[in-house]
Order: sequence, then C-alpha cells, then structure tokens
Amino acid sequence: MIDCKDKDGTDIRDERIGDTFVVTAKGRLDGGASAAFAEKIGTLITNENPKLLIDFAGVDFVTSAGLRAVLVLVKKVKAAGGSFALCSVQEQVREVLDITGFTDMLRIHAARAEALSAMRG
Amino acid sequence: MLDAIRFEASTLPTPEAIAALIDRVIAFLDQHGVDARAAHHTALVLSEVLTNLATHGDCCDRPANIAIAAEPDKVTGEVIDSGPPFDPRLAPEPSFDVGIAERPIGGLGLFLVRKLCSSLEYARRNGENCMIFAISREGNRGDKKSH
Repeated sequence: MIDCKDKDGTDIRDERIGDTFVVTAKGRLDGGASAAFAEKIGTLITNENPKLLIDFAGVDFVTSAGLRAVLVLVKKVKAAGGSFALCSVQEQVREVLDITGFTDMLRIHAARAEALSAMRG
Repeated sequence: MLDAIRFEASTLPTPEAIAALIDRVIAFLDQHGVDARAAHHTALVLSEVLTNLATHGDCCDRPANIAIAAEPDKVTGEVIDSGPPFDPRLAPEPSFDVGIAERPIGGLGLFLVRKLCSSLEYARRNGENCMIFAISREGNRGDKKSH
C-alpha cells in the first residue's frame, strides 16, 4: 500500500480493485516529484501481467520529467506483459499529452469506472 | 511588455526554487484574470526552461532572471541566464515514429516549450542568454496543432 505525500506536494494513494492496481495521484508531477512518483508506483509492478490504472483527476501540472516518469511505468508494465491506463485527465494536462504523442501511445479514459470496465475486459 | 502588468523574480534553477516560482507565477496570473490554460502553459514553459538550465546549462548556482507580463491578448515572458550560449529553438526534435518500448525517455522539455508558445525568440546579449516567449490567452488562440 502506498500512501504518501512527497515534499513537492504530489500525493499518491493506491488501492486494488479486482485485479487492477488503481493509483490516485494529486498535485504536480514535476522535476522535484517525478522520480519518487515512478519509483513508488513501480513497486506495485511485481507480478506477471499487472494492470495499472493511474487516476489523474487531481494532477494539475505535468512537466517533461513527469512524462518521463509515466513512460518509465508504461515500459515496466509492458515488459511484465501487463496493461496500463490513465483516467480523468485534466484539460491542460491532456493538451500536454496530446502534444507529446502520449495520447496515441497510452490508453486514456474519461473516467475511472470506464477505465476499470475496459481493463477488466 | 512595458505597459503590461508585470511580475519579476530571480531564481536558482533547482527543483525546489522552480516549484516556488511556479506557485508565484500562477498566483500572479490568476490574480490578473489570465485564463487557466494560459497560466498553466506559462508556468510549464518556465519550469521546462529553468530545468533545462540546471540539467544542461551548468547553471545550478547561478540565478536566472524572470519577467512575466499579462497583456490583453497574451502572456509574455522573458528568461535571462548567464549559462553557455543556447538557443532553445534549435534543440533536436524528439522522435514520435517509434513504439512505446523503443521510445527514448527524454527530449520532450524543449519540444513542449516550442509547441506551447505562440512565439519564441532568442538572443545572446552581453554574455547572457535571453529568451522571450508568448502564450496566447483564451479567445486569441490560432489553430496551433500538435506534432
């Protein structure tokens, strides 16, 4: 169970819903917080075929360092044969994901329930 | 920028100092009625440029001077640093033509800067880098597309 608040204000909580790890992140994902973000969430990826959903509803700022953290997690999940998705991405953050091609690369769902339903299937 | 409402600061490009600056810039832009998108993008451009100074410009111990102005149709910004000459407009483009497993981790910061700004200028003056950028405010955006 991860339940922590980084010094730069990124709050990370996780829970298991069915066979999916759901991480709720809150705050900024910037140069001061991204490495810890990837490291802490990365500890969840220990089994084969992991399912990881990160709820971005509370994330209002993602820098390139934050994108790198997301990419590290995606690669780790893919290497373990699992699936990765984001949900509830704020408009400004979504634009950043669009510009950098992450939207084409990731599964991004409008809401948590939709994401969980898709990941179950 | 002379007649606009102006914010000025000097900051070291450390993660903690950048985060504190971003708080102040967003508060300033919000206080002066700048829309959330323009405020976010201004903050993100500053964060990326300052982070790049620390990681590639060898400037961790030298403060950069920041100026932000809220104009009616845009937010303009200026970043002046004393690092080695560096034109952010000339940084290499990241590759988007590879799969997720092959995609390099990095190279996105200055790409984001170029994409988020409606204009981006650079000059080397008196031994300093001077970057001037603009972010369009809501209602003044063109059809700027992603990659």
